[in-house]
Amino acid sequence: MKNLLRFSYPIVAGLSIATAGAAIAKDNGDITVAVIPKVAVPFFDDCNTGAAAAAKELGVKYQWVVPENTQGATQVKIIEDLTARHVDGIAISVNEPRSVQGVIKQAIAAGIKVLTYDSDSAKSGRSMYIGTVNENAGEVMGKGMADAINGEGKVAIVTGQLGASNLNERIAGVKKALAAYPKISVVDLEGTEDDLAKAVGVTEAILRAHPDLKGLFGVSQVGGPAATKVLTEREFADRKGAVKVFAFDDLPDTIRGVKDGYINAIMVQRPVTMGRLAVQHLVGQIKGQETDAKDIDTGVTVVTTANIGSYTK
Amino acid sequence: MSTIDQKKPAPGLSKSFPVNEVLKLLSIREINVLLALVLIGALISLFTPYFLTTNNIMGVFRSFSLTAIMSIGMVLVIITGGIDLSVGSAMGLSGLVTALCFGAHLPALICVAAGLGVGVAFGLVNGLLVTMIGLPPFIATLGTLSIGRGLMYMITHGVPVTPDAPDSFAFIGQGYIGPVPAPVVIMLVLMVIFTIIMQRTRFGRHIYATGGNEYASRLSGVRVDRVKLAVYIISSTIAALAGIISFARLLSAEPASGFGAELDVIAAAAIGGASLAGGVGSVTGAVIGAALVGIIANGVILLNINTYAQQGITGGVIIVAVSLDILRSRIMGGRQ
Repeated sequence: MKNLLRFSYPIVAGLSIATAGAAIAKDNGDITVAVIPKVAVPFFDDCNTGAAAAAKELGVKYQWVVPENTQGATQVKIIEDLTARHVDGIAISVNEPRSVQGVIKQAIAAGIKVLTYDSDSAKSGRSMYIGTVNENAGEVMGKGMADAINGEGKVAIVTGQLGASNLNERIAGVKKALAAYPKISVVDLEGTEDDLAKAVGVTEAILRAHPDLKGLFGVSQVGGPAATKVLTEREFADRKGAVKVFAFDDLPDTIRGVKDGYINAIMVQRPVTMGRLAVQHLVGQIKGQETDAKDIDTGVTVVTTANIGSYTK
Repeated sequence: MSTIDQKKPAPGLSKSFPVNEVLKLLSIREINVLLALVLIGALISLFTPYFLTTNNIMGVFRSFSLTAIMSIGMVLVIITGGIDLSVGSAMGLSGLVTALCFGAHLPALICVAAGLGVGVAFGLVNGLLVTMIGLPPFIATLGTLSIGRGLMYMITHGVPVTPDAPDSFAFIGQGYIGPVPAPVVIMLVLMVIFTIIMQRTRFGRHIYATGGNEYASRLSGVRVDRVKLAVYIISSTIAALAGIISFARLLSAEPASGFGAELDVIAAAAIGGASLAGGVGSVTGAVIGAALVGIIANGVILLNINTYAQQGITGGVIIVAVSLDILRSRIMGGRQ
């Protein structure tokens, strides 16, 4: 097999140049790309906005295919359907990294370009991953906090589900950044199951247990609203400003917390950018213009009072 | 409550000093769980100065008050031999409907009524499924649990609803009466009302009778189906009230609000002495059970116990506390 491959290499190379040439000849209007989110939540509405805009700019046909639930099997079925209809490119945010490996390989074998965005399936053979590298986002957060508390003092971390891999990557990033500051100590890490009521109780207890706390990280989406709620309470009125708060995601209550001065900064992901890049890179690959695709970290925007009215996603 | 007559009050003492009256109100079982509660509280305060402060104690009370409020309704259902798994969804959906009404700028009273209406509807459906179709309560309420949660996701698409609400409404979740948070006051008021209902009214006796021996109760003229329908409506409506209080506290109706609450609520009732086989249990016991779990949850954070170990420790403490309680009452010749 190996020998055969080596032998036929020039022919294959010649063929691929020929097909690449054919693809370039293929009109943009004849190209169809499909983008699949995890499920219908606002984050993916933003992805859709970016993807649809890019498709319109490039003049390609665009489909937004929403799974009805988060089970791995649902996305498997969708990819099978899209493969059967022979779309030219698929971008997917994966619910279950393992379950889609097989169908993604089949789609690629059928000549379809596949990439992942937001949530990856690294072993599926996809051409690239476009999204937030959570550990990097955590590092940005940790560095920001270290600056805000002048590199000194006690900090605590409030997370969501204890087992969530994206949150654990963010925590690892935060700790990695803080390792450069020997005078900062992480005194507490608490889970909240992403339940706001629970997060409020946990945050209160942390503030009571550490009267000299300097910084509070909210690495999941409940952290920001919970910190805002707690710091508005009578009991903790004197802790506002004394405790620096860094949170994740721009939920309405978190935005309000920044505006009212309870939260110093929030890390906001860039779903619109993810959607736009996904379509642009798919079309580039379909037309043969992009041959060695590399993963892209879309990063996070650090939102503070300075840019809260103007930040883009 | 069959233990009331087991310890005869010392003659002469009961009239001059109301201790025996108080003892009558609490069964032996509840006193034991209460002792466990005090013991654990004392242990925690030995190791951290932050536990026994007015602020922390009131914060802890407020934290477990919603579970305790829901457990008051739950224990009635459990005493009839049933179970209500849908309380978390009733709580969440009620808070959400209340939030949507505020978002539509309806008057506060109507918003609250709409939220409570959600609870009544849940209870009616649960009760009718159990009594008319004869579904096992576990299945009926498991179904409404899922339907309720599904409705919440359909309505919110995963986004919290955060309307503005007047301060007078927010008071029931955020306010204080003296040093005591408003939800705690509501919990205490409900506890007294339902303790009286369970011990002093015919309806209360019928609830115990239904769970004790449904067949015999039916023969002796208890309208068992009506009793069951009533307890499911009470349970869901109280859960809806908890949802409204939760919304008033956070001013944010989360799609995940109340998720998994049924386990905490059932646990509170069981720790407080209710038997899942029916016939046995009390309102005060359920509230004390919720307090025990709430204090442990607070203690493990104040004591800075590793977050990954907290759930395991909480479970262990509960098992030890309730086992000691049962062994103690066995040795002392209490109910067994």
